[in-house]
Amino acid sequence: MAGKAAIKINGAHTGIAKPRKKRRMLSSTFDRKSLMLFFLPAGLFMAAFLLFPLLKLVYDSFFDVGDNYDGRTFVGLKNYIKAFTSQQFQADSWHTVVYVIVAVGVETVLGLALAVILTNKYKGFKAIRTFILSPLMIAPLVAGLVWKFMLSSQFGVVNVLLMKIGLIHSTDSILWLSDSRLALISCIIADVWLTTPFMMLMFLAGIQSIPDSLYESASVEGANKWQIITKIIIPNISGVLFSALVIRVIDAARTFDIIWAMTQGGPQGSSELLSVHIYKMLQRYGDVGYASAMAVIFIIVLIAITLITQLRQKRR
Amino acid sequence: MFNEKFGRNRRDNVWIIIMYALAVVFLLGFIFPYLYMLFSSFKPSADVISVHPTFFPKSWSIENYLKVFQTSDIGKFFANSFIAAAVSTIICLLLGSLASYAISRTSLSKFSNFLLILVLCLKMIPVSSIVVPIYSLVQQFGFYDYLPVLCIVYAGVNMPFVLWMMISFFKDVPRDLDEAAAVDGAGPFTAFFKVILPVVTPSLISTGIFTFLLSWNDFLIALLLTSSEAKTVPVALSEFLTSYSLDLGPMTGAAVLFSFPVIILSFFLQRYLVSGMLAGSVKG
Repeated sequence: MAGKAAIKINGAHTGIAKPRKKRRMLSSTFDRKSLMLFFLPAGLFMAAFLLFPLLKLVYDSFFDVGDNYDGRTFVGLKNYIKAFTSQQFQADSWHTVVYVIVAVGVETVLGLALAVILTNKYKGFKAIRTFILSPLMIAPLVAGLVWKFMLSSQFGVVNVLLMKIGLIHSTDSILWLSDSRLALISCIIADVWLTTPFMMLMFLAGIQSIPDSLYESASVEGANKWQIITKIIIPNISGVLFSALVIRVIDAARTFDIIWAMTQGGPQGSSELLSVHIYKMLQRYGDVGYASAMAVIFIIVLIAITLITQLRQKRR
Repeated sequence: MFNEKFGRNRRDNVWIIIMYALAVVFLLGFIFPYLYMLFSSFKPSADVISVHPTFFPKSWSIENYLKVFQTSDIGKFFANSFIAAAVSTIICLLLGSLASYAISRTSLSKFSNFLLILVLCLKMIPVSSIVVPIYSLVQQFGFYDYLPVLCIVYAGVNMPFVLWMMISFFKDVPRDLDEAAAVDGAGPFTAFFKVILPVVTPSLISTGIFTFLLSWNDFLIALLLTSSEAKTVPVALSEFLTSYSLDLGPMTGAAVLFSFPVIILSFFLQRYLVSGMLAGSVKG
């Protein structure tokens, strides 16, 4: 039906589109109805498995929900007040912020260094690039398991290597996963290994889009390598840099699988991120109202970051 | 800067040597974990949990792989993982490309912009927060541990990602194509399937690879929605390392089997991966 209408409108003339029968055209080929027809199937899927769960979280956050969802009492903002005053929530928010800043910071610096190195067209660099990219598509869960295995204090290879080069005396002098000061850092190591290749790939694409003439004029003016990196490369890939940072910040904040595989948030909650805490409260302890309130706060923050950065990007 | 050859002057040579040294150090750092896992998987099970681990196996063995197949239904879990990822990818590509085409063509209208922002916001929702409501929804309808439902849930959860990626691809397709098709008498559906879709096939492949891997690599949704019949490989992997058993040997074997195809795939499909990543971000 919508198709026929479009034919009439577009076929009947050669100049300006004349909307007939009050049909509002959104573009030269689409009216509102065909937009809906195109969007609806995908929209239904998102409504069922994203929008509905989200609304359920919002709804539940205003209730005290009994175990197994039997019986609920409206409690207003009590769950939100509980969240903001809970020490665990504050601690886990802090862990999340540390995780995001450290992991994304290290990934950006390493990714940038790698991109600058590997953009050289020296012999063999293409192969090296391919191999460095190999963690790119590995499951976060597998990355967590691999690093848990390597950082183990009983049979981990990392401590053995550190001992061989003389940094530590015995293989159990660094308890990567069971020392509460190190557990979060260990998880960050796994994250860095997993996602630095992504950063590198983004930056490489950015660097390769810089026109050669910029380098040429810089070298005519006698710029050294460092100046070329700081004055030409970094300013010219700032767009890519910004996008990559936004993607990674949101992804790092949502990290779940790596933490779950390596520490499940332990020891003593020292590596617990918000995502893990919310999941535990929902799944294990059944405090649905409280957990939903935390989830809503968390999601609002993520969406706010997204929308603000999106606006900034559009203005560029 | 980055194109000169060896030997122009000494400073350049020093620079080139530094570049090679750094590249090799990074290379070793990044492939070490993976190679270690690979070599460990070919050690006898007892050596994997030795307190004096070696990089290369002292004696080569496929004991771990045999154990994986003997102690678990790993073949079925691989089939489940593949079916769930493949079916959800097909659903996502079909429905997602329709929706994103329409949004890309109406991007000036307020309504279409609203849909775009909605999709973006849905894309940011952390799975760990919504997976429990999804679980209770699935439970309510009695579809727990049922593979077709896992496919559908993956399709729903990954849909915003597909839309976001495809919209930027469709924006690059000139509108003249649509208008030419419309002049020839094609409605939006015909124009889409006959004219637009063939043009964006490479983009569909990029998007398809990413969507497939999102489902293939998922752990949390499968953990909550499946138990035995529809269990996927990541869930099985995580079960090798519970507090009751520390079956590291078979775990390394299964992890290698699970990740190796993906790594090989990413070697060969790098071109698609790069264009996909850039579309998902920069132009968005």
